[in-house]
Amino acid sequence: MSVAAIKKSPLIEVRNLNLHFGAFHALKNVSVSFEAGQLIGLVGDNGAGKTTLIKVLSGIHKPNSGEVYFDGEKVREFHPKLAIKFGIETLQQSVGLCDNLSIARNFYLGREPIKRWFGIPFLDFKKMREASTKVIRTFGLRDNVSADDLVEMLSGGERQSIKIGRAVEFKNRVVIMDEPTNHLSVREREHVNELAQQMRDQGLLVIYITHDIHQVHKLADRIVIMENGEKVTDVAKHEMTADELEEVIRCGGRVVEKASEVAPS
Amino acid sequence: MTLSTRIFARRPDFGAIIGVALLFVVFSLIDFSGWWSGRTLGNILQFTAILGCIAIGQAIVIMVKEIDLSVGSVYGLTGIAYITLEADLGIPGAMLAAMTIAGSIGFLQAMAVIKGKIPSMIVTLGGLFAARGLIYVWTGGSVRTMPADSRAHWLNQLFGGELFGIDAAILWLALLIVLLSLVVWRTKFGNRLLATGGDENTALSQGIRTDRVKTVAFVLCSLLAGFAAILTLADDPRTHVTLGDLMELEAIAAAVIGGCLLTGGRGSLLGAVLGAFIITSVRYQMISLGAPASWYITFVGLVVIAALIFNQFLARWATKQA
Repeated sequence: MSVAAIKKSPLIEVRNLNLHFGAFHALKNVSVSFEAGQLIGLVGDNGAGKTTLIKVLSGIHKPNSGEVYFDGEKVREFHPKLAIKFGIETLQQSVGLCDNLSIARNFYLGREPIKRWFGIPFLDFKKMREASTKVIRTFGLRDNVSADDLVEMLSGGERQSIKIGRAVEFKNRVVIMDEPTNHLSVREREHVNELAQQMRDQGLLVIYITHDIHQVHKLADRIVIMENGEKVTDVAKHEMTADELEEVIRCGGRVVEKASEVAPS
Repeated sequence: MTLSTRIFARRPDFGAIIGVALLFVVFSLIDFSGWWSGRTLGNILQFTAILGCIAIGQAIVIMVKEIDLSVGSVYGLTGIAYITLEADLGIPGAMLAAMTIAGSIGFLQAMAVIKGKIPSMIVTLGGLFAARGLIYVWTGGSVRTMPADSRAHWLNQLFGGELFGIDAAILWLALLIVLLSLVVWRTKFGNRLLATGGDENTALSQGIRTDRVKTVAFVLCSLLAGFAAILTLADDPRTHVTLGDLMELEAIAAAVIGGCLLTGGRGSLLGAVLGAFIITSVRYQMISLGAPASWYITFVGLVVIAALIFNQFLARWATKQA
Protein backbone atom coordinates (compact mmCIF):
# COMPACT_ATOMS: atom_id res chain seq x y z
CA MET A 1 0.00 0.00 0.00
CA SER A 2 1.37 3.41 -0.97
CA VAL A 3 1.97 6.20 1.52
CA ALA A 4 -0.43 8.49 -0.34
CA ALA A 5 -3.32 6.09 0.19
CA ILE A 6 -2.71 6.01 3.93
CA LYS A 7 -2.44 9.79 4.17
CA LYS A 8 -5.79 10.66 2.62
CA SER A 9 -8.89 11.25 4.73
CA PRO A 10 -9.84 8.29 6.92
CA LEU A 11 -12.41 5.85 5.56
CA ILE A 12 -14.52 6.15 8.68
CA GLU A 13 -14.29 8.97 11.16
CA VAL A 14 -16.37 9.39 14.30
CA ARG A 15 -16.34 12.64 16.27
CA ASN A 16 -17.71 13.19 19.79
CA LEU A 17 -20.37 10.54 19.51
CA ASN A 18 -22.96 10.33 22.28
CA LEU A 19 -25.81 7.85 22.50
CA HIS A 20 -28.36 7.39 25.28
CA PHE A 21 -30.82 4.54 25.72
CA GLY A 22 -33.20 6.26 28.11
CA ALA A 23 -31.15 6.99 31.21
CA PHE A 24 -28.32 4.72 30.11
CA HIS A 25 -25.38 6.56 28.54
CA ALA A 26 -24.15 3.92 26.08
CA LEU A 27 -21.55 5.97 24.18
CA LYS A 28 -19.70 8.79 25.92
CA ASN A 29 -18.04 11.32 23.64
CA VAL A 30 -16.37 8.70 21.46
CA SER A 31 -13.99 9.91 18.74
CA VAL A 32 -12.07 7.47 16.57
CA SER A 33 -11.00 7.11 12.96
CA PHE A 34 -10.30 4.06 10.84
CA GLU A 35 -8.27 3.79 7.63
CA ALA A 36 -8.52 1.38 4.72
CA GLY A 37 -6.19 -1.61 4.67
CA GLN A 38 -6.13 -1.97 8.44
CA LEU A 39 -7.33 -4.67 10.76
CA ILE A 40 -8.61 -3.02 13.92
CA GLY A 41 -9.16 -5.00 17.09
CA LEU A 42 -12.05 -3.44 19.02
CA VAL A 43 -11.86 -4.88 22.51
CA GLY A 44 -13.72 -4.46 25.78
CA ASP A 45 -15.87 -6.20 28.35
CA ASN A 46 -19.58 -6.80 28.03
CA GLY A 47 -21.46 -3.52 27.97
CA ALA A 48 -18.35 -1.54 27.03
CA GLY A 49 -20.12 -0.06 24.01
CA LYS A 50 -18.31 -1.94 21.22
CA THR A 51 -21.45 -3.33 19.67
CA THR A 52 -23.31 -0.05 20.17
CA LEU A 53 -20.54 1.81 18.32
CA ILE A 54 -20.64 -0.53 15.33
CA LYS A 55 -24.43 -0.41 15.30
CA VAL A 56 -24.12 3.33 14.75
CA LEU A 57 -21.65 2.73 11.92
CA SER A 58 -23.93 0.17 10.29
CA GLY A 59 -26.90 2.53 10.54
CA ILE A 60 -28.98 0.64 13.10
CA HIS A 61 -28.69 3.23 15.90
CA LYS A 62 -28.87 6.99 15.43
CA PRO A 63 -26.54 8.89 17.77
CA ASN A 64 -27.92 11.65 20.03
CA SER A 65 -25.01 13.93 19.21
CA GLY A 66 -21.70 13.86 17.35
CA GLU A 67 -20.79 13.23 13.73
CA VAL A 68 -19.94 10.27 11.57
CA TYR A 69 -17.99 10.72 8.33
CA PHE A 70 -17.68 8.10 5.62
CA ASP A 71 -14.72 8.88 3.34
CA GLY A 72 -14.78 12.52 4.47
CA GLU A 73 -18.48 12.92 3.87
CA LYS A 74 -20.82 13.55 6.77
CA VAL A 75 -23.55 10.96 7.37
CA ARG A 76 -26.94 12.68 7.56
CA GLU A 77 -29.38 9.77 7.75
CA PHE A 78 -28.80 6.54 9.65
CA HIS A 79 -30.23 3.46 7.99
CA PRO A 80 -28.62 0.06 7.28
CA LYS A 81 -29.41 0.57 3.61
CA LEU A 82 -27.16 3.64 3.42
CA ALA A 83 -24.32 1.95 5.29
CA ILE A 84 -24.51 -0.98 2.88
CA LYS A 85 -24.52 1.42 -0.03
CA PHE A 86 -21.28 2.93 1.25
CA GLY A 87 -19.82 -0.58 1.44
CA ILE A 88 -20.04 -1.48 5.10
CA GLU A 89 -20.83 -5.12 5.71
CA THR A 90 -21.54 -6.06 9.31
CA LEU A 91 -21.19 -9.64 10.49
CA GLN A 92 -23.21 -9.85 13.67
CA GLN A 93 -23.38 -12.66 16.15
CA SER A 94 -26.90 -13.90 15.63
CA VAL A 95 -28.03 -11.83 12.67
CA GLY A 96 -27.31 -11.98 8.95
CA LEU A 97 -28.92 -15.14 7.64
CA CYS A 98 -32.60 -16.09 7.52
CA ASP A 99 -33.15 -19.67 8.62
CA ASN A 100 -36.24 -20.04 6.48
CA LEU A 101 -34.48 -19.22 3.21
CA SER A 102 -32.03 -21.16 1.07
CA ILE A 103 -28.32 -20.33 1.03
CA ALA A 104 -28.66 -18.88 -2.47
CA ARG A 105 -31.54 -16.61 -1.43
CA ASN A 106 -29.66 -15.47 1.69
CA PHE A 107 -26.48 -14.79 -0.22
CA TYR A 108 -28.09 -12.07 -2.30
CA LEU A 109 -30.58 -10.85 0.29
CA GLY A 110 -31.22 -7.14 -0.26
CA ARG A 111 -29.29 -7.01 -3.59
CA GLU A 112 -30.97 -9.75 -5.56
CA PRO A 113 -29.88 -10.19 -9.19
CA ILE A 114 -32.64 -9.86 -11.75
CA LYS A 115 -33.38 -11.58 -15.02
CA ARG A 116 -36.13 -10.20 -17.23
CA TRP A 117 -38.77 -12.47 -18.78
CA PHE A 118 -40.98 -10.53 -21.16
CA GLY A 119 -39.86 -7.38 -19.37
CA ILE A 120 -40.93 -8.66 -15.94
CA PRO A 121 -38.08 -8.73 -13.41
CA PHE A 122 -37.70 -12.19 -11.85
CA LEU A 123 -34.97 -13.45 -9.52
CA ASP A 124 -31.94 -14.76 -11.37
CA PHE A 125 -31.71 -18.11 -9.57
CA LYS A 126 -28.93 -19.35 -11.82
CA LYS A 127 -26.61 -16.53 -10.81
CA MET A 128 -27.65 -16.80 -7.15
CA ARG A 129 -26.88 -20.54 -7.13
CA GLU A 130 -23.54 -20.19 -8.93
CA ALA A 131 -22.14 -17.52 -6.61
CA SER A 132 -23.26 -19.27 -3.44
CA THR A 133 -22.06 -22.68 -4.66
CA LYS A 134 -18.63 -21.13 -5.26
CA VAL A 135 -18.54 -19.90 -1.67
CA ILE A 136 -19.76 -23.24 -0.33
CA ARG A 137 -16.89 -24.99 -2.10
CA THR A 138 -14.08 -22.49 -1.42
CA PHE A 139 -15.01 -22.20 2.24
CA GLY A 140 -14.99 -25.91 2.75
CA LEU A 141 -18.57 -26.54 3.83
CA ARG A 142 -19.68 -30.17 3.97
CA ASP A 143 -19.78 -31.79 0.53
CA ASN A 144 -23.48 -32.54 0.64
CA VAL A 145 -24.50 -28.93 1.28
CA SER A 146 -26.12 -27.35 -1.77
CA ALA A 147 -27.07 -23.76 -2.57
CA ASP A 148 -30.74 -24.74 -2.34
CA ASP A 149 -30.50 -26.04 1.24
CA LEU A 150 -32.10 -23.98 3.96
CA VAL A 151 -29.71 -22.09 6.22
CA GLU A 152 -31.28 -23.77 9.28
CA MET A 153 -29.38 -26.93 8.32
CA LEU A 154 -25.95 -25.28 8.65
CA SER A 155 -23.56 -25.31 11.62
CA GLY A 156 -22.31 -22.12 13.30
CA GLY A 157 -19.03 -22.15 11.38
CA GLU A 158 -20.75 -22.74 8.09
CA ARG A 159 -23.06 -19.81 8.71
CA GLN A 160 -20.08 -17.59 9.55
CA SER A 161 -18.34 -18.74 6.36
CA ILE A 162 -21.34 -17.83 4.24
CA LYS A 163 -21.49 -14.38 5.80
CA ILE A 164 -17.78 -13.75 5.26
CA GLY A 165 -17.99 -15.12 1.73
CA ARG A 166 -20.79 -12.68 1.07
CA ALA A 167 -18.73 -9.76 2.42
CA VAL A 168 -15.81 -10.70 0.15
CA GLU A 169 -17.99 -11.34 -2.89
CA PHE A 170 -19.62 -7.92 -2.84
CA LYS A 171 -16.25 -6.14 -2.75
CA ASN A 172 -17.05 -4.10 0.31
CA ARG A 173 -14.80 -1.41 1.70
CA VAL A 174 -15.45 -2.11 5.35
CA VAL A 175 -16.15 -5.41 7.07
CA ILE A 176 -17.19 -5.28 10.70
CA MET A 177 -16.95 -8.63 12.45
CA ASP A 178 -18.79 -8.79 15.77
CA GLU A 179 -17.42 -11.72 17.80
CA PRO A 180 -16.96 -13.75 14.61
CA THR A 181 -15.43 -16.80 16.29
CA ASN A 182 -18.03 -17.37 19.01
CA HIS A 183 -19.40 -20.92 19.06
CA LEU A 184 -16.87 -22.07 16.46
CA SER A 185 -14.59 -25.08 16.54
CA VAL A 186 -10.82 -24.51 16.70
CA ARG A 187 -10.35 -25.25 13.01
CA GLU A 188 -13.25 -23.00 12.00
CA ARG A 189 -11.87 -20.23 14.21
CA GLU A 190 -8.47 -20.32 12.51
CA HIS A 191 -10.18 -20.24 9.15
CA VAL A 192 -12.25 -17.17 10.05
CA ASN A 193 -9.13 -15.36 11.36
CA GLU A 194 -7.24 -16.15 8.16
CA LEU A 195 -10.11 -14.69 6.16
CA ALA A 196 -10.07 -11.51 8.23
CA GLN A 197 -6.38 -11.05 7.44
CA GLN A 198 -6.92 -11.83 3.75
CA MET A 199 -9.57 -9.13 3.54
CA ARG A 200 -7.21 -6.65 5.17
CA ASP A 201 -4.49 -7.60 2.67
CA GLN A 202 -6.93 -6.89 -0.16
CA GLY A 203 -7.17 -3.31 1.12
CA LEU A 204 -10.40 -3.54 3.11
CA LEU A 205 -10.91 -1.99 6.51
CA VAL A 206 -11.65 -4.81 8.93
CA ILE A 207 -13.02 -4.03 12.39
CA TYR A 208 -12.76 -7.12 14.54
CA ILE A 209 -14.72 -7.09 17.79
CA THR A 210 -13.88 -9.57 20.51
CA HIS A 211 -13.36 -10.20 24.22
CA ASP A 212 -10.20 -12.11 23.55
CA ILE A 213 -7.30 -9.65 23.54
CA HIS A 214 -4.69 -12.40 23.00
CA GLN A 215 -6.41 -13.68 19.90
CA VAL A 216 -6.91 -10.29 18.29
CA HIS A 217 -3.43 -9.03 19.21
CA LYS A 218 -2.00 -11.67 16.86
CA LEU A 219 -4.18 -10.47 13.98
CA ALA A 220 -4.65 -6.74 14.34
CA ASP A 221 -2.64 -3.73 13.23
CA ARG A 222 -4.22 -1.51 15.82
CA ILE A 223 -6.12 -2.11 19.05
CA VAL A 224 -8.92 0.10 20.37
CA ILE A 225 -10.16 -0.63 23.88
CA MET A 226 -13.55 0.57 25.10
CA GLU A 227 -14.82 0.65 28.63
CA ASN A 228 -18.18 1.85 29.97
CA GLY A 229 -19.03 3.58 26.70
CA GLU A 230 -15.70 5.40 26.43
CA LYS A 231 -12.64 4.84 24.30
CA VAL A 232 -9.83 4.26 26.82
CA THR A 233 -6.93 3.06 24.67
CA ASP A 234 -6.05 3.37 20.97
CA VAL A 235 -2.60 2.02 20.09
CA ALA A 236 -0.72 0.42 17.22
CA LYS A 237 -0.05 -3.25 17.82
CA HIS A 238 3.71 -2.85 18.41
CA GLU A 239 3.24 -0.24 21.11
CA MET A 240 1.82 -2.60 23.72
CA THR A 241 1.87 -6.34 24.32
CA ALA A 242 -1.27 -8.40 24.73
CA ASP A 243 -0.59 -8.77 28.45
CA GLU A 244 -0.27 -5.02 28.94
CA LEU A 245 -3.53 -4.47 27.06
CA GLU A 246 -5.27 -7.09 29.17
CA GLU A 247 -4.13 -5.23 32.26
CA VAL A 248 -5.69 -2.04 30.85
CA ILE A 249 -9.03 -3.76 30.39
CA ARG A 250 -8.90 -5.24 33.87
CA CYS A 251 -7.89 -2.01 35.61
CA GLY A 252 -10.01 0.27 33.46
CA GLY A 253 -13.12 -1.55 34.54
CA ARG A 254 -12.09 -1.64 38.20
CA VAL A 255 -11.09 2.00 38.54
CA VAL A 256 -14.39 3.25 37.16
CA GLU A 257 -16.34 0.80 39.29
CA LYS A 258 -14.62 1.97 42.48
CA ALA A 259 -15.13 5.60 41.63
CA SER A 260 -18.85 5.16 41.13
CA GLU A 261 -19.13 3.16 44.34
CA VAL A 262 -17.39 5.82 46.36
CA ALA A 263 -19.19 8.79 44.87
CA PRO A 264 -22.69 8.36 46.44
CA SER A 265 -21.35 8.05 50.01
CA MET B 1 -38.02 -42.34 -1.59
CA THR B 2 -36.80 -40.37 -4.59
CA LEU B 3 -35.47 -36.85 -4.35
CA SER B 4 -38.46 -35.24 -6.04
CA THR B 5 -40.97 -36.92 -3.70
CA ARG B 6 -38.92 -35.80 -0.74
CA ILE B 7 -38.89 -32.19 -1.92
CA PHE B 8 -42.61 -32.44 -2.60
CA ALA B 9 -43.27 -33.80 0.89
CA ARG B 10 -41.45 -30.83 2.41
CA ARG B 11 -43.77 -28.33 0.77
CA PRO B 12 -45.65 -26.33 3.41
CA ASP B 13 -48.93 -27.10 1.63
CA PHE B 14 -48.32 -30.85 1.44
CA GLY B 15 -50.75 -31.52 4.29
CA ALA B 16 -53.49 -29.48 2.61
CA ILE B 17 -52.99 -31.32 -0.70
CA ILE B 18 -53.40 -34.66 1.10
CA GLY B 19 -56.35 -33.23 3.03
CA VAL B 20 -58.16 -32.23 -0.15
CA ALA B 21 -57.49 -35.64 -1.70
CA LEU B 22 -58.85 -37.33 1.44
CA LEU B 23 -61.98 -35.16 1.39
CA PHE B 24 -62.68 -36.15 -2.20
CA VAL B 25 -62.38 -39.84 -1.29
CA VAL B 26 -64.48 -39.57 1.88
CA PHE B 27 -67.25 -37.46 0.33
CA SER B 28 -67.34 -39.70 -2.74
CA LEU B 29 -67.81 -42.73 -0.48
CA ILE B 30 -70.50 -41.16 1.71
CA ASP B 31 -72.47 -39.26 -0.89
CA PHE B 32 -71.22 -40.02 -4.38
CA SER B 33 -74.01 -38.58 -6.50
CA GLY B 34 -74.48 -35.52 -4.31
CA TRP B 35 -70.78 -34.66 -4.16
CA TRP B 36 -70.05 -35.04 -7.85
CA SER B 37 -73.15 -33.20 -9.06
CA GLY B 38 -72.21 -30.02 -10.89
CA ARG B 39 -74.27 -27.89 -8.56
CA THR B 40 -72.56 -29.04 -5.37
CA LEU B 41 -68.98 -28.75 -6.60
CA GLY B 42 -69.82 -25.54 -8.46
CA ASN B 43 -71.19 -23.92 -5.32
CA ILE B 44 -68.32 -25.14 -3.19
CA LEU B 45 -65.80 -23.78 -5.69
CA GLN B 46 -67.60 -20.45 -5.84
CA PHE B 47 -67.44 -20.11 -2.04
CA THR B 48 -63.86 -21.38 -2.04
CA ALA B 49 -62.90 -18.68 -4.54
CA ILE B 50 -64.26 -15.95 -2.26
CA LEU B 51 -62.82 -17.30 0.98
CA GLY B 52 -59.62 -18.29 -0.85
CA CYS B 53 -59.12 -14.74 -2.06
CA ILE B 54 -59.24 -13.47 1.52
CA ALA B 55 -57.08 -16.38 2.71
CA ILE B 56 -54.34 -15.53 0.17
CA GLY B 57 -54.14 -12.03 1.62
CA GLN B 58 -54.11 -13.42 5.14
CA ALA B 59 -51.34 -15.85 4.16
CA ILE B 60 -49.19 -12.98 2.87
CA VAL B 61 -49.65 -11.06 6.12
CA ILE B 62 -48.89 -14.19 8.18
CA MET B 63 -45.74 -14.72 6.09
CA VAL B 64 -44.40 -11.34 7.31
CA LYS B 65 -45.17 -12.51 10.85
CA GLU B 66 -48.19 -10.30 11.39
CA ILE B 67 -51.91 -11.04 11.47
CA ASP B 68 -54.97 -9.26 10.09
CA LEU B 69 -58.16 -9.78 12.07
CA SER B 70 -60.02 -7.07 10.18
CA VAL B 71 -60.48 -8.86 6.83
CA GLY B 72 -64.04 -10.00 7.58
CA SER B 73 -65.17 -6.46 8.36
CA VAL B 74 -63.18 -5.00 5.46
CA TYR B 75 -64.90 -7.54 3.21
CA GLY B 76 -68.27 -6.44 4.58
CA LEU B 77 -67.56 -2.71 4.36
CA THR B 78 -66.20 -2.93 0.81
CA GLY B 79 -69.24 -4.92 -0.27
CA ILE B 80 -71.66 -2.42 1.29
CA ALA B 81 -69.71 0.45 -0.26
CA TYR B 82 -69.89 -1.15 -3.71
CA ILE B 83 -73.64 -1.62 -3.56
CA THR B 84 -74.45 1.69 -1.87
CA LEU B 85 -72.17 3.91 -3.96
CA GLU B 86 -73.31 2.26 -7.20
CA ALA B 87 -76.47 4.40 -7.18
CA ASP B 88 -74.42 7.61 -7.41
CA LEU B 89 -71.13 6.63 -9.02
CA GLY B 90 -72.17 3.85 -11.38
CA ILE B 91 -70.43 0.46 -11.50
CA PRO B 92 -66.86 1.55 -12.38
CA GLY B 93 -66.85 4.46 -9.93
CA ALA B 94 -68.32 2.38 -7.10
CA MET B 95 -65.83 -0.41 -7.68
CA LEU B 96 -62.91 2.00 -7.61
CA ALA B 97 -64.24 3.78 -4.53
CA ALA B 98 -64.90 0.51 -2.69
CA MET B 99 -61.41 -0.81 -3.43
CA THR B 100 -59.92 2.52 -2.36
CA ILE B 101 -61.72 2.20 0.97
CA ALA B 102 -60.33 -1.32 1.39
CA GLY B 103 -56.78 -0.27 0.49
CA SER B 104 -56.90 2.75 2.80
CA ILE B 105 -57.95 0.62 5.76
CA GLY B 106 -54.99 -1.66 5.09
CA PHE B 107 -52.66 1.32 4.84
CA LEU B 108 -53.93 2.92 8.05
CA GLN B 109 -53.55 -0.34 9.94
CA ALA B 110 -50.03 -0.80 8.58
CA MET B 111 -49.11 2.71 9.76
CA ALA B 112 -50.48 2.00 13.23
CA VAL B 113 -48.47 -1.23 13.39
CA ILE B 114 -45.23 0.26 12.03
CA LYS B 115 -45.18 3.87 13.23
CA GLY B 116 -47.21 3.25 16.39
CA LYS B 117 -45.35 0.02 17.19
CA ILE B 118 -48.58 -1.64 18.28
CA PRO B 119 -48.96 -5.41 17.73
CA SER B 120 -50.95 -6.11 14.58
CA MET B 121 -53.33 -8.35 16.51
CA ILE B 122 -54.49 -5.33 18.54
CA VAL B 123 -54.52 -2.87 15.62
CA THR B 124 -56.54 -5.15 13.37
CA LEU B 125 -58.87 -6.14 16.22
CA GLY B 126 -59.60 -2.42 16.42
CA GLY B 127 -60.01 -2.42 12.64
CA LEU B 128 -62.47 -5.31 12.89
CA PHE B 129 -64.74 -3.40 15.28
CA ALA B 130 -64.30 -0.03 13.62
CA ALA B 131 -65.14 -1.25 10.12
CA ARG B 132 -68.09 -3.30 11.39
CA GLY B 133 -69.34 -0.25 13.28
CA LEU B 134 -69.13 1.82 10.09
CA ILE B 135 -71.30 -0.77 8.35
CA TYR B 136 -74.02 -0.40 11.00
CA VAL B 137 -73.86 3.40 10.87
CA TRP B 138 -73.87 3.54 7.09
CA THR B 139 -76.65 1.06 6.40
CA GLY B 140 -78.80 1.66 9.47
CA GLY B 141 -79.14 -2.10 9.62
CA SER B 142 -81.05 -2.38 6.35
CA VAL B 143 -80.58 -4.87 3.52
CA ARG B 144 -79.54 -3.35 0.23
CA THR B 145 -79.43 -4.60 -3.33
CA MET B 146 -78.57 -3.48 -6.83
CA PRO B 147 -80.98 -2.86 -9.74
CA ALA B 148 -81.02 -5.46 -12.53
CA ASP B 149 -79.65 -3.19 -15.28
CA SER B 150 -76.63 -2.36 -13.12
CA ARG B 151 -76.04 -6.06 -12.62
CA ALA B 152 -75.91 -6.49 -16.38
CA HIS B 153 -73.11 -3.87 -16.71
CA TRP B 154 -70.11 -5.46 -18.43
CA LEU B 155 -67.72 -4.62 -15.58
CA ASN B 156 -70.03 -6.21 -13.02
CA GLN B 157 -70.34 -9.26 -15.27
CA LEU B 158 -66.56 -9.45 -15.56
CA PHE B 159 -66.41 -10.28 -11.85
CA GLY B 160 -69.79 -11.85 -11.21
CA GLY B 161 -70.66 -13.56 -14.48
CA GLU B 162 -69.56 -16.81 -16.05
CA LEU B 163 -67.02 -17.74 -18.70
CA PHE B 164 -67.30 -21.09 -20.50
CA GLY B 165 -69.78 -22.08 -17.77
CA ILE B 166 -67.26 -21.41 -15.00
CA ASP B 167 -67.96 -18.75 -12.39
CA ALA B 168 -65.80 -15.67 -12.94
CA ALA B 169 -64.76 -15.75 -9.27
CA ILE B 170 -63.06 -19.12 -9.78
CA LEU B 171 -61.12 -17.85 -12.79
CA TRP B 172 -60.07 -14.71 -10.94
CA LEU B 173 -58.87 -16.78 -8.01
CA ALA B 174 -56.83 -19.03 -10.31
CA LEU B 175 -55.23 -15.95 -11.85
CA LEU B 176 -54.48 -14.51 -8.40
CA ILE B 177 -52.86 -17.74 -7.15
CA VAL B 178 -50.53 -17.88 -10.16
CA LEU B 179 -49.71 -14.17 -10.14
CA LEU B 180 -49.14 -13.74 -6.42
CA SER B 181 -47.26 -17.05 -6.07
CA LEU B 182 -44.87 -15.79 -8.76
CA VAL B 183 -44.49 -12.53 -6.85
CA VAL B 184 -43.79 -14.29 -3.55
CA TRP B 185 -41.43 -17.01 -4.81
CA ARG B 186 -39.80 -15.57 -7.90
CA THR B 187 -39.28 -11.84 -7.38
CA LYS B 188 -37.03 -9.53 -5.42
CA PHE B 189 -39.99 -8.30 -3.40
CA GLY B 190 -40.97 -11.89 -2.54
CA ASN B 191 -37.48 -12.71 -1.32
CA ARG B 192 -37.59 -9.66 0.93
CA LEU B 193 -41.09 -10.51 2.13
CA LEU B 194 -39.98 -14.01 3.17
CA ALA B 195 -36.86 -12.59 4.84
CA THR B 196 -38.86 -9.96 6.74
CA GLY B 197 -41.16 -12.65 8.11
CA GLY B 198 -38.41 -15.18 8.76
CA ASP B 199 -35.96 -12.91 10.58
CA GLU B 200 -36.73 -9.22 10.66
CA ASN B 201 -33.39 -8.17 12.20
CA THR B 202 -31.47 -9.96 9.48
CA ALA B 203 -33.64 -8.40 6.80
CA LEU B 204 -32.97 -4.97 8.32
CA SER B 205 -29.24 -5.60 8.56
CA GLN B 206 -29.16 -6.43 4.85
CA GLY B 207 -30.70 -3.08 4.07
CA ILE B 208 -34.26 -4.22 3.47
CA ARG B 209 -36.92 -1.63 4.27
CA THR B 210 -39.03 -4.02 6.30
CA ASP B 211 -41.54 -1.27 7.12
CA ARG B 212 -42.33 -0.91 3.42
CA VAL B 213 -42.56 -4.66 2.92
CA LYS B 214 -45.06 -4.93 5.79
CA THR B 215 -47.08 -1.98 4.53
CA VAL B 216 -47.41 -3.64 1.12
CA ALA B 217 -48.48 -6.88 2.80
CA PHE B 218 -51.22 -5.18 4.85
CA VAL B 219 -52.52 -3.15 1.90
CA LEU B 220 -52.51 -6.22 -0.34
CA CYS B 221 -54.42 -8.20 2.30
CA SER B 222 -57.14 -5.54 2.63
CA LEU B 223 -57.36 -5.16 -1.15
CA LEU B 224 -57.82 -8.91 -1.55
CA ALA B 225 -60.55 -8.90 1.12
CA GLY B 226 -62.21 -6.03 -0.75
CA PHE B 227 -61.82 -7.85 -4.05
CA ALA B 228 -63.48 -10.92 -2.54
CA ALA B 229 -66.44 -8.72 -1.61
CA ILE B 230 -66.69 -7.43 -5.21
CA LEU B 231 -66.60 -11.02 -6.47
CA THR B 232 -69.40 -11.94 -4.04
CA LEU B 233 -71.70 -9.02 -4.71
CA ALA B 234 -71.17 -8.86 -8.46
CA ASP B 235 -72.62 -12.37 -8.52
CA ASP B 236 -75.34 -11.94 -5.90
CA PRO B 237 -75.86 -8.27 -4.96
CA ARG B 238 -77.52 -8.58 -1.58
CA THR B 239 -75.92 -7.07 1.47
CA HIS B 240 -76.62 -7.35 5.13
CA VAL B 241 -74.91 -5.85 8.17
CA THR B 242 -73.47 -9.25 9.04
CA LEU B 243 -71.75 -9.58 5.64
CA GLY B 244 -68.34 -11.13 6.29
CA ASP B 245 -68.96 -11.91 9.97
CA LEU B 246 -66.37 -14.44 11.26
CA MET B 247 -64.77 -14.51 7.82
CA GLU B 248 -61.45 -13.34 9.36
CA LEU B 249 -61.30 -16.48 11.46
CA GLU B 250 -62.14 -18.70 8.50
CA ALA B 251 -59.41 -16.98 6.46
CA ILE B 252 -56.82 -17.47 9.21
CA ALA B 253 -57.95 -21.08 9.60
CA ALA B 254 -57.61 -21.62 5.84
CA ALA B 255 -54.09 -20.13 5.79
CA VAL B 256 -53.03 -22.24 8.77
CA ILE B 257 -54.52 -25.43 7.33
CA GLY B 258 -52.65 -24.56 4.14
CA GLY B 259 -49.31 -24.63 5.94
CA CYS B 260 -48.68 -20.99 6.93
CA LEU B 261 -46.69 -20.83 10.14
CA LEU B 262 -47.67 -18.05 12.53
CA THR B 263 -43.94 -17.69 13.27
CA GLY B 264 -43.60 -16.13 9.82
CA GLY B 265 -41.49 -16.67 6.72
CA ARG B 266 -43.10 -19.92 5.66
CA GLY B 267 -46.35 -20.69 3.92
CA SER B 268 -48.12 -21.26 0.66
CA LEU B 269 -50.76 -19.32 -1.21
CA LEU B 270 -52.02 -22.44 -2.96
CA GLY B 271 -52.18 -24.05 0.49
CA ALA B 272 -54.33 -21.20 1.81
CA VAL B 273 -56.76 -21.73 -1.07
CA LEU B 274 -56.82 -25.49 -0.48
CA GLY B 275 -57.48 -24.72 3.19
CA ALA B 276 -60.41 -22.56 2.11
CA PHE B 277 -61.65 -25.46 -0.01
CA ILE B 278 -61.45 -27.84 2.96
CA ILE B 279 -63.42 -25.48 5.22
CA THR B 280 -66.02 -24.67 2.58
CA SER B 281 -66.61 -28.23 1.45
CA VAL B 282 -66.90 -29.55 5.00
CA ARG B 283 -69.48 -26.89 5.76
CA TYR B 284 -71.43 -27.51 2.57
CA GLN B 285 -71.42 -31.29 2.93
CA MET B 286 -72.39 -31.16 6.60
CA ILE B 287 -75.43 -29.07 5.75
CA SER B 288 -76.41 -31.14 2.74
CA LEU B 289 -76.03 -34.36 4.75
CA GLY B 290 -78.47 -32.98 7.30
CA ALA B 291 -76.22 -31.96 10.19
CA PRO B 292 -77.52 -28.87 12.05
CA ALA B 293 -75.94 -25.76 10.49
CA SER B 294 -74.96 -24.47 13.91
CA TRP B 295 -72.48 -27.30 14.32
CA TYR B 296 -70.39 -25.94 11.55
CA ILE B 297 -68.26 -23.56 13.62
CA THR B 298 -67.37 -26.26 16.12
CA PHE B 299 -66.42 -28.45 13.23
CA VAL B 300 -64.16 -25.80 11.66
CA GLY B 301 -62.37 -25.53 14.99
CA LEU B 302 -61.78 -29.27 15.09
CA VAL B 303 -60.61 -29.30 11.46
CA VAL B 304 -58.04 -26.56 12.20
CA ILE B 305 -56.60 -28.41 15.18
CA ALA B 306 -56.56 -31.73 13.34
CA ALA B 307 -54.90 -30.08 10.32
CA LEU B 308 -52.17 -28.54 12.46
CA ILE B 309 -51.38 -31.87 14.11
CA PHE B 310 -51.42 -33.52 10.70
CA ASN B 311 -49.10 -30.85 9.19
CA GLN B 312 -46.60 -31.23 12.03
CA PHE B 313 -46.68 -34.98 11.74
CA LEU B 314 -46.04 -34.73 7.99
CA ALA B 315 -43.21 -32.23 8.43
CA ARG B 316 -41.48 -34.51 10.92
CA TRP B 317 -41.97 -37.48 8.66
CA ALA B 318 -40.54 -35.59 5.66
CA THR B 319 -37.38 -34.55 7.54
CA LYS B 320 -36.86 -38.06 8.84
CA GLN B 321 -36.89 -39.36 5.29
CA ALA B 322 -34.14 -36.92 4.24
